[in-house]
Amino acid sequence: MSVSTIEGVPGVSPGTPVSPEKRRLRLTTKRRNLIAAMLFISPWLFGFLVFTVWPMIYSFYLSLTNFDNINAPRFVGLENYQRMMEDPRIPRTLSNTFQFAIMSVPLSLIVALLLALLLHKATMGTGFFRTTFFLPRMTPPVAVGVLFLLLFNGHQGLINQLLGLFGVNGPNWTVDPFWVRPGLVLMSLWTVGGTSLILLAALKDVPKELYESARVDGAGALRQFWSVTLPLISPQIFFVFIVNTIGALQTFSEAYTAFFGGGADAFRNEGALFYSIHLFEMAFRNFRMGYASAMAWVLFVIIMIITGIQWAVSKRMVFYSGDS
Amino acid sequence: MRNRKTTLIGAVAMGILLLGACAQGTDGGDAEFGGDLEAAELTLMGFSDPDEIGQTRWDIADAAIYPAHVRPSEGGFDIQAFLAANSAGNPPDLIYFNRGDFIGTLASLGAIMPLDACIAAEGINLDDFNQAALAQVTFNEQIFGVPEFNQVQLTMANGDLLAAAGLTLNDVNGSDWERMTVANEALHVVEGGRLAVIGIDSRIPEHFPLWVVSNGGQLVSDDGRTAMIDTPEVLEALEFALSLMDGNNGFADVMSLRDAADFWGEGNQFATNAMGAFTMEQWYMNVLMGATPDIPLAVSPFMSRQTGQPIAFSTGSSWAIPVGAENPAAACRFIANMVEVDSWMAAAQVRADRIAGEGGVFTGLLTANTTADRAIRDAFIVPSGSAVWDSAIAAMYTAADHHFFMPPLPADQEFRQAWVDSVNRVLQGTMTARDSLAQGQAEAQRALDEGWARMEDRD
Amino acid sequence: MSATTTHDTPPASTKLSRRAKLRSIRQRLTWRQAFNYLMLLACSAIFIYPFIWLVSASFKPRGQVFDNRLIPDTFQPENYLTVWQAAPIGRWLFNSILITALAAISVTISSGLVAWGFTYFQFKWRDRIFGIVLATMMLPGVVTMIPQFLIWSGIGMVGHRAPMSGMMPMWAGNLFGSAFYIFMLRQFFRRLPRDTFEAARIDGAGNWRIFWKIAFPLARPAFIVTLLFEANAAWNELQRALIYLQDSSTWTVPRGLASIVARFGAGGGGEANWELVVTAAVITTLPLIILFFIGQKQFVDGIATTGAKG
Repeated sequence: MSVSTIEGVPGVSPGTPVSPEKRRLRLTTKRRNLIAAMLFISPWLFGFLVFTVWPMIYSFYLSLTNFDNINAPRFVGLENYQRMMEDPRIPRTLSNTFQFAIMSVPLSLIVALLLALLLHKATMGTGFFRTTFFLPRMTPPVAVGVLFLLLFNGHQGLINQLLGLFGVNGPNWTVDPFWVRPGLVLMSLWTVGGTSLILLAALKDVPKELYESARVDGAGALRQFWSVTLPLISPQIFFVFIVNTIGALQTFSEAYTAFFGGGADAFRNEGALFYSIHLFEMAFRNFRMGYASAMAWVLFVIIMIITGIQWAVSKRMVFYSGDS
Repeated sequence: MRNRKTTLIGAVAMGILLLGACAQGTDGGDAEFGGDLEAAELTLMGFSDPDEIGQTRWDIADAAIYPAHVRPSEGGFDIQAFLAANSAGNPPDLIYFNRGDFIGTLASLGAIMPLDACIAAEGINLDDFNQAALAQVTFNEQIFGVPEFNQVQLTMANGDLLAAAGLTLNDVNGSDWERMTVANEALHVVEGGRLAVIGIDSRIPEHFPLWVVSNGGQLVSDDGRTAMIDTPEVLEALEFALSLMDGNNGFADVMSLRDAADFWGEGNQFATNAMGAFTMEQWYMNVLMGATPDIPLAVSPFMSRQTGQPIAFSTGSSWAIPVGAENPAAACRFIANMVEVDSWMAAAQVRADRIAGEGGVFTGLLTANTTADRAIRDAFIVPSGSAVWDSAIAAMYTAADHHFFMPPLPADQEFRQAWVDSVNRVLQGTMTARDSLAQGQAEAQRALDEGWARMEDRD
Repeated sequence: MSATTTHDTPPASTKLSRRAKLRSIRQRLTWRQAFNYLMLLACSAIFIYPFIWLVSASFKPRGQVFDNRLIPDTFQPENYLTVWQAAPIGRWLFNSILITALAAISVTISSGLVAWGFTYFQFKWRDRIFGIVLATMMLPGVVTMIPQFLIWSGIGMVGHRAPMSGMMPMWAGNLFGSAFYIFMLRQFFRRLPRDTFEAARIDGAGNWRIFWKIAFPLARPAFIVTLLFEANAAWNELQRALIYLQDSSTWTVPRGLASIVARFGAGGGGEANWELVVTAAVITTLPLIILFFIGQKQFVDGIATTGAKG
């Protein structure tokens, strides 16, 4: 590394020998630094304790109770967790959610990367293109849910009309429990703009000289991408991969608006009943706050496991430029 | 040090909250009704953008509680917002919602007040009310809500399409299922692999109870304790209603065609001849009257297959007062004035005047107040000169005399979700009717058992 | 790291051939550029199409919303007036803008402070504690949703009689920083040259001064990214709005939109006035588009220098 960065104890250069009288000074500096550091991180520390740790403890306690949101919680031990194992909707909603995540996360990553590559090469009108790609992100999810119903309607929706141009009789995306998830995935691709911009930023960060030299070495575009670009942006890819996975496992607003916000006896597309939606209905429609808390904790554990696996796998695949 | 301080603050906050969390839900509802009112602004959830029927009565009721008044609200009843307000200790003074949705649950949880004292103090005459509607708000022998509107389902058909296929209303109104199958086959049209005309839309899941009762079954026992979702009558009803969907190229096609139709406008499925017949609530006649008065509409009450008599499932809205409301006396007087015969008459007058000005036909009004219904019918329903609309209106009043109802349950929503999802699973082909109803039965029974147990624990 | 270690500097004798090579590369590049722009235009067409569809549908009468024409058959701009009069959209926009601004500013400052604390100082267990910060990103919002509500209502912040008409909980949690931004900003801070801060320290600047006067201005692009990301997130937040905002005068845009969908859409009570739903969606998206268009250059440059590295 050419420049030394700021990590380390301020005021102390590494490797400087410390004289006896300086040691006392250093100690106090150290203490003062500790206090300063604590002051700087105190907002987070306070927020963490009050808005994360305590809520976690309390929600775990709630998961061991029957709590209807109106009367005081009643302790029931592990009953809620036991009931989850008997609830046929749990495997159903988990499978819906996983299927959605497995389709949407890699696909949106690929699409986002392709867009980022295109944007990276552009020199004119970049503002326009960036805004265009980011636009859907700014459309409220409620509106995206409505848009889904309108665009993917089996009879008059735009998607099936387009398919019709190619002689394809499109499926009933919004009604068919098998096609609703692919439909929602396609809709989610529309909102990859944020991911795309993060990857674009990563691309901008790749030193130009590397491409020059690779080119001179006779590497084609594909080869350059494979052996220069991809390794260098792999940390960001990994980062959005993890963040998007966590997001996909909690997907809620679009499907909720499209299928579950209506009356209780309206048609509900079982294929779009995601875990978070089931949880939400348990909590607020069925007055089972304790059960919903247990579901939330199970989701937390699932996310931790999945992130852990992704982390472990990534260690072999991600190239950290700062490492030796 | 700082660290310890934050921990301390955290601990104190935690203590306060635990106390707060435990303290709620204990105050009972010994509210005083009647007497003079003080100036106050009442809060309300669930009643918004009234039409002339709502606005006229609102003005009357709001004036009646002077110097108090009700703050208008936006949006429908949102249970999440209500629960949040409740646990924050500021429940609204009034709530307004579909009585089948929450009356039993909220009553069993002690979240809404029994209104017997309110009814007595404000002189609300229970004899005026439709008994089915009243039964829907009576839980554990106490009245927890005041029903407002009433709805019935009717068979609405396209007379031209029926005639062209050599059919009559009796072929599509539920009385004879074999004839319905034949009629459905004759009426529906598939073009290029897609449904173009729906034959008979059985409108499940929402109208499933109609088919069940028509077949002599019921979804829950009269005392609300036993789910009856997996009985042979229910199974047969589901299989038949499903067969109508299948006969229309499958449910998915029916549903997307339905979604795409201009249901509320000039391009509605009767005007475009895109549907033979379906079951629908009576208020849709108002919509059709406004959009396309000249359609070949043919209306009949929905008939029981078993008894041959008209049947209709009573649904509609209701007023209730949450436990912990700040101004229950004013809230009660407001409700009493909203549902009074005179208020209904005044509202009907406004609507009749408007419709007369537009040159339309007043299609009547169904409320939970039978006295008001009769008075409105006598005063405002006159022969319109259109045989189509006259017979449609007559069919509506006939159906209104043949209500059945689902009793309030301590787990209304969960019970309903159990049978609705049983139907949905079958419609989407993810389960057979028998298995799905069995799962629904298990879920529903458990919801009922736990609901009743939860309520008895509370006492 | 050193960028050129993988490649040996070419000897002087090859310089000429190298220049020729570069020229031919450049020619190829123009073709490639053209192709690239074509692809970009095609992609933006796809991305912008649903939005144009939305805008165009907002000018159609009810029966034609589904006709998929880009130019409405019957032009009905009254939709905008109807929606504006039917619902207090102006009020909702005002609430949203206020909450969004407060949320974005507070999270930027607080996360900046915390990130600096985790970067500039060395203390025991720093990396472990930072690991906890990262771990909180995995925690689903639903786990803490209810207890957090109890906290806010316990300290009297909920309901339209509370401070700010009960809108405080919509943003005040951001005063305590947010893991995602703390992480992002720390990545940025780590790349700042240490010499600058050493020099300031020797000149007698205190910790606060160093942060506020030196680090903060230097990190401007990263802060803009944080502001815009959070503005986006806060603008779209529905779940919290459903819980905390009980009075329609305090609703934000997504909450109001949800009620518009319920009221005009096809569900309970709605009359399938999709043109009105769509119009409301357009009105409520516009402010954010303007904000992004203004901030997009710094936004992307900001991300570039932040380099959200794992």
